[in-house]
Amino acid sequence: MEGRRVSQEMKKAVVVSCDMVTAFGAGTDALWNGIRSGGTAISKIDRFNTKAFQSDNAAVINGLKYLKNDSLVMQMFRLLLKDNSASIPEDAKLILATTKGEIDLLEKKFLTGRGDASDSNPHKLLKKISALAGVKDSGMIISAACASSSTALARAASMIRSGYGDCVLVTACDSVTEFVYAGFSSLMALEKFAAKPFDKKRSGLSLGEAAVYALLMSDARAKREKRNIIGEIAGWGMSDDANHMTGPSRTSDGLIMAVKKALRSAGADEGGIGFISAHGTGTVYNDAMEMRAFHAVFKNKLPVYSVKGAIGHTLGAAGLVETITALRALKEKVVPLTVNLKAADDDAHGWVSNKQRALSNKKMALITNAGFSGINTALVVK
Amino acid sequence: MINIYGIGWIDAKEYGCIAKGTRVAFEGDTGFGGLSKKVFSHPFKYFGRLDRISKLTCYAIALALKDAGIDYSPELKQDIGAIGANDSGSLQADIDYFKDYLDCGRTLARGNLFIYTLPSSPLGEAAIHFGLQGPVFFSSAPKKSLLKVITTASEMLLSEETTAMFAGMTGENEAVYFTLMRDNAANKDFLCDADKARAILSRDMPQDKLVKEFSSLRKGRDQ
Repeated sequence: MEGRRVSQEMKKAVVVSCDMVTAFGAGTDALWNGIRSGGTAISKIDRFNTKAFQSDNAAVINGLKYLKNDSLVMQMFRLLLKDNSASIPEDAKLILATTKGEIDLLEKKFLTGRGDASDSNPHKLLKKISALAGVKDSGMIISAACASSSTALARAASMIRSGYGDCVLVTACDSVTEFVYAGFSSLMALEKFAAKPFDKKRSGLSLGEAAVYALLMSDARAKREKRNIIGEIAGWGMSDDANHMTGPSRTSDGLIMAVKKALRSAGADEGGIGFISAHGTGTVYNDAMEMRAFHAVFKNKLPVYSVKGAIGHTLGAAGLVETITALRALKEKVVPLTVNLKAADDDAHGWVSNKQRALSNKKMALITNAGFSGINTALVVK
Repeated sequence: MINIYGIGWIDAKEYGCIAKGTRVAFEGDTGFGGLSKKVFSHPFKYFGRLDRISKLTCYAIALALKDAGIDYSPELKQDIGAIGANDSGSLQADIDYFKDYLDCGRTLARGNLFIYTLPSSPLGEAAIHFGLQGPVFFSSAPKKSLLKVITTASEMLLSEETTAMFAGMTGENEAVYFTLMRDNAANKDFLCDADKARAILSRDMPQDKLVKEFSSLRKGRDQ
């Protein structure tokens, strides 16, 4: 294993294909245009009764329903992969990132008696996705709370850089279910209407749903196969606050560590970063924790944004959705606006904006995510 | 080179540290719930609230720390990561939480139960108690999950993503965690290298056989 690394050092991990389905609809264009419009896909939901909860809003995908024999995430994946599976090589290694996968199948068992609770086992979902994507690999699941898919991207890039594989398919999903909605409501984490990341009056997150994939290859293979190179996962860093199960660190030391690791991994310094795609959930403590970390690492103010006011918090899918969005922003040379931002919190003033901004000539972006258990990830893309 | 510096394990009757060659039977003595004071070096806050998978995971990691001779304290945070697998994600926690929610008339559930519906939560509990500030995540595969997490941990150490990793697996009544570190001139007291461990784990055996197999490495080393 170690000999392999010595003989194939430091390959670049590039994204050659990606797509997503979010509450703005199918495709990255739908998300990109939705965010640029300044509108939000968060609205009242009727998928389940929300009367007892803190909110009755979420960002759900039009047409998705609780069905007798199908899960919400598989409905999304069919939509996502029907036109894309042909471009996925069958020798790709497979990673599935999710927090709750097909948890609606467990709900179904307890609410209707149909099926079996173990139908929600993530290994079963992994098998379905492997078949749908047409890959031979039986794959692996990565679950790191709301940093699941950024952790999966870091793993995929690391595997390629170190020579343990030259093609990795990263898939990610989570859906808006009664199970999850009730849980966040019981933790008093939901914003009543729509999340307002980094706003003075933010008061919680809005749930969203998405399925997303990115195909990563070594740059050598991508060139050999004449693939379109969308961008590079240039660096990554992961850490844990080791502090609290649900509350972000009051010192931000965990996220600071992850960001510094990511910069080091990318061979970059803080001056090379053009903008930050923040986790930006809209909860008071998450956003403050992130801003403290950004103040600690970056000497000068940088453009920061969050997409969660537009498409809600897509949980395990968030990191991958946000990475693809950041790559699009680098390509278009614009920094997206933060939807629902009215008055930036004091520590975010001058960093976030409700207007799109032109990107400086810097070619790298930082994506941060954080989750329960104090998990932090930072990715550097270019 | 990546080496295995310790292995901690626990099952329904015993627990132990493989490199140190310790094995303690607890059934009829303290019982599973009473091990906390014996296994942890300082009091584990709210340990009673943890779900069963979290308790087993934390016990095994405590034993893996001890086996590798790594100290920990409430004041100390270290860039050490933890990745773990199991066969069912968080199924039992999901059932417990959702039943509770239904029992409450589909209004509110206990937030504490919701937290354990994340498969990464047992490792999060371990990170808090042991001060693990490295990468923490759940990773599982349809087959040979333990082999895969050991491989992943080795790769991450070779890539210098962290300084040490705990990698292991938790079942319904058992858990085993390995302590992996890069070759360290100051500490040659390791059980085997990661490639040797991977060769053993590729045979996919139950935990009791795995404990025997790795214990035999120690005996060979001691001779």
